[in-house]
Amino acid sequence: MSRFFRQAGDSDSDSESSDDESMSSGAEDVPQRPPASTAKPAASMSRFLKTAGSDSSDSDSDEDSDSDSDTPHRRRSGLPTIDDSDDEESDDADAPGVRIKSAAERRLDEMKATGKAIENGLKINDWVAISNEFDKLARMIQRQQNVSEPVPPFYIQTLVSLEVSINTAAAKEKEAKKKMNATNAKALTAVKQKVKRAIKEYEVEVKKFQDDPETFEREYAAVVAPEPVTSKRTSTQTGEATEAENFTPVGKGGKVMQFTADGIFKNLQAVQEARGKKNTDRAEQIRILEKLLEVSVTSYQRIRVLLALISSRFDYNSSVASHMPIELWLSAQREVDQLVAIVATDGNYSIQELTDDYDESIERSPTTEGGIVRIRGSIISFIDRLDDEFTRSLQNIDPHGTEYVDRLKDEKVLYCTICRAQAFYEKTKQDQPLGRVIMRRLEHIYSKPNAVVQALEAAADVSEFKPNMILSVQGTTSALIHALCVYLYKSGNSLLRTRAMLSHIYHHALHNDFYTARDMLLMSHLQESIHSADVATQILYNRTVVQLGLCAFRSGLIKEAQATLQDIFTTQRVKELLAQGVHQQRFQVLTPEQEKAEKQRQLPFHMHINTELLEAAFLVSSMLVEIPLLASIDSEEMKRKAISKPFRRLLDFADRQVFTGPPESTRDHIMQASKALQDGEWEQCRDLIQSIKIWSLMPEAATVKEMLAQRIQEQGLRTYLFTYAPHYSALSISLLSRTFSLPPRTVTSIVSKMIWNEELSASLDQSGDVVVFHRIELSRTQQLAQSVAEKLAAMIEQSEKVLDVKMGGASGWGDRVEGTKGDKRNEQAQERRGRGERTRGARGGPRGGRGGRFSQGLGNQMPGQTQRGE
Amino acid sequence: MAEHDLSKTIIPYLDRHLSFPLLAHLVETSLFPVEQVQAAQYELAKGTNMFDYAVNLFEQIHPDQQVPAEFDEKRKNAVSTHERLQLEAQAVLDVIENPDVAQALRQDKNQNLQYLKDNYGLTLDQITALYNFGQFQYSYGNYSGAADYLYHFRVLSTDNDLNTSAHWGKLASDILTGRWEIALEELNTLRDAIDSRSPSSILAPSAASNAPEPALVQLHSRTWLAHWSLFVYFNHPQGRTLLLETFLSPTYLNTIQTSCPWILRYLATAAILSRKSASLPASASAPVSSRVRNAIREVVKVIQTEEYQYQDPVTSFLKELYVEFDFEAAQRELTLAERVVGDDFFLGEFREEFLDNARYLISEAYCRIHQKIDIGDLSERLNLSRDEGEKWIVNLIRETRMGADAKIDLEKNVIQINRPPLPIYQTVIEKTRGLALRTQAIGAAAARTGQQSVAKTETQAPAVAVK
Repeated sequence: MSRFFRQAGDSDSDSESSDDESMSSGAEDVPQRPPASTAKPAASMSRFLKTAGSDSSDSDSDEDSDSDSDTPHRRRSGLPTIDDSDDEESDDADAPGVRIKSAAERRLDEMKATGKAIENGLKINDWVAISNEFDKLARMIQRQQNVSEPVPPFYIQTLVSLEVSINTAAAKEKEAKKKMNATNAKALTAVKQKVKRAIKEYEVEVKKFQDDPETFEREYAAVVAPEPVTSKRTSTQTGEATEAENFTPVGKGGKVMQFTADGIFKNLQAVQEARGKKNTDRAEQIRILEKLLEVSVTSYQRIRVLLALISSRFDYNSSVASHMPIELWLSAQREVDQLVAIVATDGNYSIQELTDDYDESIERSPTTEGGIVRIRGSIISFIDRLDDEFTRSLQNIDPHGTEYVDRLKDEKVLYCTICRAQAFYEKTKQDQPLGRVIMRRLEHIYSKPNAVVQALEAAADVSEFKPNMILSVQGTTSALIHALCVYLYKSGNSLLRTRAMLSHIYHHALHNDFYTARDMLLMSHLQESIHSADVATQILYNRTVVQLGLCAFRSGLIKEAQATLQDIFTTQRVKELLAQGVHQQRFQVLTPEQEKAEKQRQLPFHMHINTELLEAAFLVSSMLVEIPLLASIDSEEMKRKAISKPFRRLLDFADRQVFTGPPESTRDHIMQASKALQDGEWEQCRDLIQSIKIWSLMPEAATVKEMLAQRIQEQGLRTYLFTYAPHYSALSISLLSRTFSLPPRTVTSIVSKMIWNEELSASLDQSGDVVVFHRIELSRTQQLAQSVAEKLAAMIEQSEKVLDVKMGGASGWGDRVEGTKGDKRNEQAQERRGRGERTRGARGGPRGGRGGRFSQGLGNQMPGQTQRGE
Repeated sequence: MAEHDLSKTIIPYLDRHLSFPLLAHLVETSLFPVEQVQAAQYELAKGTNMFDYAVNLFEQIHPDQQVPAEFDEKRKNAVSTHERLQLEAQAVLDVIENPDVAQALRQDKNQNLQYLKDNYGLTLDQITALYNFGQFQYSYGNYSGAADYLYHFRVLSTDNDLNTSAHWGKLASDILTGRWEIALEELNTLRDAIDSRSPSSILAPSAASNAPEPALVQLHSRTWLAHWSLFVYFNHPQGRTLLLETFLSPTYLNTIQTSCPWILRYLATAAILSRKSASLPASASAPVSSRVRNAIREVVKVIQTEEYQYQDPVTSFLKELYVEFDFEAAQRELTLAERVVGDDFFLGEFREEFLDNARYLISEAYCRIHQKIDIGDLSERLNLSRDEGEKWIVNLIRETRMGADAKIDLEKNVIQINRPPLPIYQTVIEKTRGLALRTQAIGAAAARTGQQSVAKTETQAPAVAVK
């Protein structure tokens, strides 16, 4: 496609034809514009810029946006759908000099063509056409004015003649009423109004023209002529009108003037005003600004231009769905670096979001400002945007291709930029943006293994601006993350604090520091408030919890792992909750907006937590918890009290299978392993579990497998005892130890534990080294009585809880027991923040023996009450 | 054994003066080289006004060196300060000791102040002199005098911060003079003051502004209190039970878990020591709360959760016994724990008792799990010789309710334990026993909330009005 442009440009043959085209396109341009917009200078302004922009656009760059690609073709093939943007493109391939000339020329030609069309309209009395043409003319004039060229006499001439025609037409209309149809009449009135307005606007010129058309034209030429002519190529095209020659250099001169140091502010303003307009050609704006950057001299100029340039780079891609082109991103990144460097080295300039009003069009320096020059802008938002765009591009790139990996390499430069910005903010002591930038930095490293963080830090270490917190200073990654988090804890922003907390916990979990991670999670009490957080934080929370579960699993804390992962698996929407895939909803269809929002929050692939591994960890730990439990309960009723519903469901499903083949999926493996465990065949269970392939994704896979094997042995023994106890009156320890290849001491320990906890009614006979079972068969009545008693106890427990909630923070009932817990909670959260240290557990709430404590609390309450009363 | 010594961890949480006994104890145990401990003592004493003591120590450490001259100068300073402060304080004391005044004083401190000011021209500043003098006395080791002055100051002063400070000073003085009853009282009031800190700081913004994070302050205060209270709890006759009461309450349990897990040693020891009062039927002495009764279970749970950050032989002993049921390991730990307990400043006196109770715990667990026990084996588990073991076991059986179930078969040298399984009806009764009481408590609490909110608003009203 770009080749196409270049060829066209080289040939240089189409300057003439382009004129024709522009004429015709100009004519067809009109119906698309509503007449109301004629008098808006801004709108036409943008069109001008766009014209200018597309002229020069992309003749040199390969990434000419796709949207443009088909329009030239269309034009070539002469299709009638040429639209507004087309004429701008007509000669985008031309060299600048030619382009400039022809643009000005074309404007005049267009004007002329319009004038002609108006005349034609007059002849056939077609006021609708006239109205349209006039609108167009007005717009062109507006454009003319925006480049500060004087109003061409041609326009005034048309205006005057039009006025006359209208008057006569109106007069005629009055006489012969039936001659015009409704639309025509309406158009006539509209034109009349507009002409009136236009004449009023250009009253002076009109008057002059009416007095002496000749002088007026001469004057006009005189104004225009002195403009310097620097273009290599002079006008070769002499139009029908002599004025054309005069206009051309003006256009050229104005254009060239843009790229000098003096004109910077004017141009900047023009660009800024065009920003965000519908038809602004963003690519061209960027080019203009790049040019401006080259010519800018002072720091002030460079800062201003950089600010504008970076914004327009980010503007380039307005659609939410797609991502910023990578080259553009890279240059934006470099420019942010530059900007930071300028501001960091020269303390006399400061970029702030809120400043006093200042004249944008004059040069300012520390001397004129008397101290620090404050410029409106926000570096932090650039950093944010840069980071977001990076994430977005990762979201959109196929994660399995090399492109993704290539893109991922850019993280390094991004990380450097963030570090630099951090250093800058540290230096200038701007706390709020510093918090944000540190958060960004943290988000880049919290979920990464040490090696990656080291690589990133090594890159950041090279840069000349270094933040205080850096790996080489802190020593270890954990220390670095700790330092970053501590800063954020101290900052006032609660959102940042929450996110830092979660990232910190995640990091601990990732490094197998289960206890610290758990304590921090519990002490932060995030689980109570997370429901009201924003979606991104909730996702982070989910990720953290899941990582914590995996961490527990890796550390061999099966129960904890099961409990932690349980919540997320019962929802059955793991992928969605972790933002690693869009959930297919069965019953309701998502609106496109919802879908888009969901897509946007997806995590880039490299940050995913492998869900299959997760599931394997969850199911295996469920198996180890659930199977002995299942074996221990004999009544059907109790069986319903499942610990892990998802696991139970799968197990039931597997039970119903008439024929089971060799296991294929991870799930199959685990289900068959569960059945083997139920039957007491722990070796088979172990082999099945260990043959699951997904473990290889887990760090320290070998030790994890070993740990699992040991757990399987132990739980196998427990299951066996539960299941087969009724069939024996005594079992020898040595037999058990042989069957489960556990040392006799471990067997004794396990059995003792079961006896002590009254799970197993048995006792050890030391002389014979056997376990003697005392089994009692419960009658139905006894069973029922027991369950009634249990239910009663549960009910009381429930009412106590309800009461606790009701009394809540009122330090009311059970002063010692529950009331102060609220305070404690607060206190610990604050304590943690205050010290910024990880501290220890707030768990160990009153799980057992609550009843007694509770009455105690009541007793103690009175003195406390009177104390306070004093 | 030095690695299990907690002095180093505990001392940062103690007052300078409270550390002296600990260091003195260290000299005795000879866990550390005497010279080092003495050097530490000297360093400590240097910062106080106890110059004679410091000089004494200095001479001990450097017998061949001249005593630094600064001490003399300091002593002079101290003496003059003492006189000045005494004069100031005496003025106030004269007024207060006047029987008329003592009669006229009421509960309301503000009113008292007004009264003193109107009739005797005593201002708050003068009263503060009491505090200063008390503090000074404390600093040169006249603890009982300090306690007196601080007491008087507290009665009169309305300054919250100084009051708290006086509280701590009084507690330290009482501890150092060994008046455990009074110290216990002081401890309890101080604890209440700390616990009620957060509501009062809401009422008094001045306190809140001084301490930006009252919760943090509260946590620190609780940590300190936990350490200081060890002195009291391990010296007061009822201390162990009270310690369990306090430390097992959720607030203090949280504090321990959060900031000072090493207190678990004392908690565990106290739990073991209070075994007897726990196992005996509650009617015997004062009714023991269920918190104390279930102390061991609770403590074991905490030890388990905190295992990753703190363990020592005492906690490991409980863990091995009740979590792992590894009697051999428990026995090993017990041997270690015995020495640790013996060397510990607070626990030293309880070594025998600890051992006795620990043995009991082991045999109890052992008997519950086993049906037939070899006496020799059990004796070994208890670190006793065979004959001793037999005697011990017989005593055990006689002492406890196990008598009915356990029989010694001398021929085979085994104990036969015949524990018939609990009848079902009994388990049901057991389960439902507490329900009525708990329901009542709920009812009472629900009824109270209504009154309480009324009472609260009433109590708050004057406080606000005063401001």
